[in-house]
Amino acid sequence: MSGNEAIARGLYEAGVRFAAAYPGTPSTEIMEEYSKYEGVYAEWSPNEKVALEVAIGAALAGEKAVAVMKHVGVNVAADPLFTVSYTGTNGALVIITADDPSLHSSQNEQDNRNYAKFSKIPMLEPADAEEAKEFIKLAFEISEKFDTPVFLRTTTRVSHSKSVVSPADPLPYKDKTAITYNAAKYVMVPANARIRRVEVEKRMQLLKSFAENFSENKMEINNPDIGIITAGMPYNYAKDVFPDYSYLKLGMVYPLPEKLIRDFAARVKNIYVVEELDPFLEEQIKAMGIKVTGKEIFPYTNEFDPGIIQNAINKLNKPANLPTKNVPPRPPNLCPGCPHRGLFYTLKKLKVFVTGDIGCYTLSFLKPLEGLHSTICMGASIGMAHGMSKALKEKGKGKIVGVIGDSTFIHSGITPLLNMAYNKSNAVIIICDNSTTAMTGMQEHPATGYTLLGEETIKLDLKVLVAALGIKNIRVVDPYDLKTTRTVIKEELTKDGPSVVISQRPCVLFKRAKTKPQKPLQVDPEKCTGCKVCLGLGCPPISWKKMEKKEGSKREGVSFIDENLCNGCGLCLQLCKFGAIK
Amino acid sequence: MKKTLSKDPTNVIITGVGGQGNVLASRVLAGMLVNAGYYVTIGETFGMSQRGGSVMSHLRISEKSVMSPQIPWGRADIVVALEPVEALRVLTKYGNPDVAVLANSRVVYPVGVITGELDYPSIEEMQNALKRISAKSWSIDATGEAVKLGNPVLSNVIMVGALCATNLLPIDHKSFEEEIAKKMTPDKRRINLLAFDAGAKMI
Repeated sequence: MSGNEAIARGLYEAGVRFAAAYPGTPSTEIMEEYSKYEGVYAEWSPNEKVALEVAIGAALAGEKAVAVMKHVGVNVAADPLFTVSYTGTNGALVIITADDPSLHSSQNEQDNRNYAKFSKIPMLEPADAEEAKEFIKLAFEISEKFDTPVFLRTTTRVSHSKSVVSPADPLPYKDKTAITYNAAKYVMVPANARIRRVEVEKRMQLLKSFAENFSENKMEINNPDIGIITAGMPYNYAKDVFPDYSYLKLGMVYPLPEKLIRDFAARVKNIYVVEELDPFLEEQIKAMGIKVTGKEIFPYTNEFDPGIIQNAINKLNKPANLPTKNVPPRPPNLCPGCPHRGLFYTLKKLKVFVTGDIGCYTLSFLKPLEGLHSTICMGASIGMAHGMSKALKEKGKGKIVGVIGDSTFIHSGITPLLNMAYNKSNAVIIICDNSTTAMTGMQEHPATGYTLLGEETIKLDLKVLVAALGIKNIRVVDPYDLKTTRTVIKEELTKDGPSVVISQRPCVLFKRAKTKPQKPLQVDPEKCTGCKVCLGLGCPPISWKKMEKKEGSKREGVSFIDENLCNGCGLCLQLCKFGAIK
Repeated sequence: MKKTLSKDPTNVIITGVGGQGNVLASRVLAGMLVNAGYYVTIGETFGMSQRGGSVMSHLRISEKSVMSPQIPWGRADIVVALEPVEALRVLTKYGNPDVAVLANSRVVYPVGVITGELDYPSIEEMQNALKRISAKSWSIDATGEAVKLGNPVLSNVIMVGALCATNLLPIDHKSFEEEIAKKMTPDKRRINLLAFDAGAKMI
């Protein structure tokens, strides 16, 4: 099982039957797997803040509930997070944060262990799939025992690595739900919150004592010369290269067991703190007055691997890379037939500034499309387009476009769009509606007509919603039709007031939309003049074949389409002025 | 069929381009080895990279257990590449003089090459480089064979079949048949078995 599959299994075994989430790499498969278990309630919420609030509500009603999100999702959910720490949970509440050291698929590399300290919520961190399954059960036990939300932190490497896991029988589900009233505990007005605030500090003291004897804070005394304090996946990396050193492996990364750490420090000569990203453990241990080596030798950025730890401790330089030819880089690219390609090709040609958002289409910032010029977080495209347009005044007229996906628009684009209508913006917003949450692998959302559990439901009409927000100029285009797409966007750029263009075409990989691949296209090498216009699409099947120059001809080569990759979307055909593509 | 591992753990990297079936190949191979009684960890990276970027799965195979799902630098024993340049890319970090490499010879151009900004090494250059930096290397046209079978996507299974025939790992036709009986619907098994056997014949 992967770490994510194991977490889903652990939830099921722990008798947890309530989960809410928004998809995001590397957390997505937790919900996809969990939702397959018999008798569970699992939902995709529109965003992480909603997901956490849904889980808080379920816990208040007496359920054991979990909210699942990627690291940046916790930023979105941070508002309820900090205050549910005050109220406590009644039932039980666990928040899973899936961090992404090395930014495999994220816009930043934040270390969410800091949230545990900041929000005064205990955090567990498993090192592999088997531990992930067990730790999620322990997280619920701690939540119930201390009436506190509990974090479970995983990282890409734990979530996406597979190893052997032993399944156990699930605990029978006990229905403890009921309506209970307790305003002093759940109404966080200042007078009540001041009192709960003190309770939080008392709870932290209790949790500190609990951590001292917590079964998953484990000391292994081997060679007493070197002791390693670590947690999560870096434990495996260190153990792989230094099996004989002594270890203090922390299953709970917040709060820390001070006595246990002092005891360990007394038993070993030199201590290394091995942790990815921030010196989270290191700073706290140093504050205890214990001498340790940490970020002086280990990197702050990117995930570790056994080699990095070995080299740092043995003071070796990086191993010399093998001499090979220069290997051309291979950045990710939009798929053949991707509906975003035609839209971003058009935007580049229109020479506008495009504020971007989070989704596959972010990739269109790359050459040759270069049709997107900023990306911060979900929803930012709309607020930023408005801000730029207001700041630039006349200079920005007809020049600022914001783009956002359908799932992303629902996640956090609605309020900024309302703001554009309210504050009389002049920018054009394009909703790239591909009928699914494509980047994370086709998850449902409120405009798809289905729930995570596969039930039919309402299908949000984006056009009606946008109109209700006060946007007067609304157009719908098919991005496969380059000419109309260009004309419509151009018209909207000249208009006063905000416009929304819905660029509508399902993702080519989305099975339910049943986009049948068309016949692959071919280049007629006789007709191709080698003008390279079709190459400007950056479409994977189209490549350039160099040729010997013939006398009297400027042609240096021709385009070539790999029929095994082409699905006949027809964009290149529309661009070819010489009728060479058919 | 080979009965044991020549090295414990044996470190295998399967690499390719997002969309080539890298993840399926690594899971099928891992399944075959787990069925044979080995402990296997798989370290995968997916997400953004699946959109046509470089992808890589690390398999670590042991009779006992393995701690790190990531293979340490310079410690790959076997590299299976669904695309030849990806073999070179992996070897720059994980290669060593004893590594065995099995590579598909069919290239997939990255976007920089498509637009004509970057050059791509020729097949001969790549094959020579692979020979130079590995102990053993095989280069086969798995995609060509897959197209003959009717679908270029089958090249990943052809590579698993070819890997089996190299005799580097304790796997055989039967273990593949058992594994796909678990993982694939009956209508897909026949063509995958054909692909596996076609790959085995290419070595």
